[in-house]
Amino acid sequence: MIDPFDSIAGYVQLHVLVPLLWHLDLMRWEDLAYGWALFAVYGAAQVALMFALCVPLERLFPVERWPDQRVVLTDIFYTVVQRVGVLPLVTFVGFYEVQARLNGFLTDHGYVPPTLERFLPFLMGWPVATFLLYAIILDFADYWRHRISHRIGWWWALHSLHHAQRQMTFWSDDRNHVLDDLIGALWFGAIALLIGVSPMQFPLLVLFLRLLESLSHANARIDFGPVLGRVLVSPRFHRAHHGVGAYGARSCNFGAVFPWWDMLFGTADFSRDYVPTGDPSGDEALASGSYLAQQMAGLRRLLGRGKQPAAVQ
Amino acid sequence: MRWVWRGLLGVAILLPAAALARPLAFVLNSDDASISIIDMATRREIRREPVLRQPHHITLSPDGKLVLAGDTVGNQILYLDPETGRILRRQTISDPYQLMFSPDGRVLTVTGLARNQVDIYAFTDATGLTLLHRVPARSMPSHIAYAPDSSVVYVSLQGSNRLMAISVRSGAVLWDVPVGETPAGVLWDHDHVLVGLMGEDGIAVVDPTDGHVLRMVRTGRGAHNLFFSPDGRLIYVTNRVAGTITVLDRASLTVLRDYRVPGGPDDIEFAPDGTLWVTQRFDHGVLFLDPRTGTYSRINVGRSPHGIFLNTDRHTHRTEEP
Repeated sequence: MIDPFDSIAGYVQLHVLVPLLWHLDLMRWEDLAYGWALFAVYGAAQVALMFALCVPLERLFPVERWPDQRVVLTDIFYTVVQRVGVLPLVTFVGFYEVQARLNGFLTDHGYVPPTLERFLPFLMGWPVATFLLYAIILDFADYWRHRISHRIGWWWALHSLHHAQRQMTFWSDDRNHVLDDLIGALWFGAIALLIGVSPMQFPLLVLFLRLLESLSHANARIDFGPVLGRVLVSPRFHRAHHGVGAYGARSCNFGAVFPWWDMLFGTADFSRDYVPTGDPSGDEALASGSYLAQQMAGLRRLLGRGKQPAAVQ
Repeated sequence: MRWVWRGLLGVAILLPAAALARPLAFVLNSDDASISIIDMATRREIRREPVLRQPHHITLSPDGKLVLAGDTVGNQILYLDPETGRILRRQTISDPYQLMFSPDGRVLTVTGLARNQVDIYAFTDATGLTLLHRVPARSMPSHIAYAPDSSVVYVSLQGSNRLMAISVRSGAVLWDVPVGETPAGVLWDHDHVLVGLMGEDGIAVVDPTDGHVLRMVRTGRGAHNLFFSPDGRLIYVTNRVAGTITVLDRASLTVLRDYRVPGGPDDIEFAPDGTLWVTQRFDHGVLFLDPRTGTYSRINVGRSPHGIFLNTDRHTHRTEEP
């Protein structure tokens, strides 16, 4: 039996994307289009599922209540653009030739990116186990990317856009400056050169992990308890990271999926309760501006204009 | 009790022989990191062989003893047992997309679609592949064909609308010229090179001496790949956008008929009973087309099936002109 998401992606590819590419003389991107169709269909499923899960939780157990939630609309826009893959697609196409040249250069110099299975041959033939190991390693890498982004002034100037939201909801996970997203893509691209690309045939597992990341931003009083809360990042744990008193270098709880790295490297704080969120050190446009206003405010902050970051203290 | 032991011994002796005789199809599921092994007699998938990341194309070694499959994102060439589909060994090769042996069996050309390079390797059973030439190419080197004397290899450059000719002996680029929008499949035929043009509605007939396009043959939108019929009298062309397979008379290149084939037809193999086995790239299946009636049936395989190999074909060299 074919996964229904695959069937939908195949239908979209055959009846919408391929004819469109053909008319636009863009058939060279046909393979990529199919990858994007899969990404978009599973991304739409992610959005639908997190909506179905998180809206009731935010209604039943809200941390805060806001009379006017218009600022959340911008976060919804970020989510849709990111999860259905518009931004990843633009990034991939834009950097395709650069990546091809880099691949050629590395091959010329005798370097072929390995895979975890080459280091750990017992993983051959166990793709789910391999996927989970990649997920752990990539989460570890993301912990350090995230932690460093709070320490370096110019990087925090970009990343502070993510922290500016005072009405943090499950939609807030994807609100990022495009340059911050680009740095993230380069970060993971560099890691892929070291340990290879993770298995890509488990979109449902990716969907689960992304769902967890969205849930961790939810405006909901949800704590996973003393045991599960030390296995997976809970909304309470991640809210402490977004607290008004925890912006820039003062922050804690940098982990996205697993809190293990915070526990291991001394940045975990399980004591903070459901604190208000936001970054009081930034311009108001970062918090409540339109998408473009937020992007421009992030850029101004990066260039040393507007209110300055409080990253390295 | 002696007969029981004799019986068991007989079964033990016969079982491997039976296994050897089993006709199997190998289908590379490019977005599923697996190879579907299909029993050709029952047309049922009997197992999936996991690979690393993204397998695309597959070819038989010149002596018929090994099947080579390229795993692009996994950066591996897999050596499979043609009798069983089991992976025997692996070799690290960067981004092996298309791979094809020369008609004389001496070299294997591998295109690195995502690294803009074409590799020419010497192959021996004992050592595997040894790099002879690495040729920089323009964007997206994709499909491959050889001149019948194995002196030149022709490679379509999908991202730059060109076809390039490379000297197999020296690795020198002989020419590199535009041939039409998004060239894909390449086939040598009667002193010409035929090129499927994905961005157009047919194939280009190209002069192999300098690469200029002599004429176009309309087949259907998104002409992708080309295959000789087993008797060598016909050429089948898969048309990705049109959702058809066009049959050309090989001598005149006139269109004889079209078959409607849903699901984004990609590669074709020919079963001994005359059936065409076609991978349906975006419908996650293998389609069995009866060319006499145009009727078909299909089975599901993994996500985005691409290359296909039938082990009933293992004593005929796939790259030779029939």
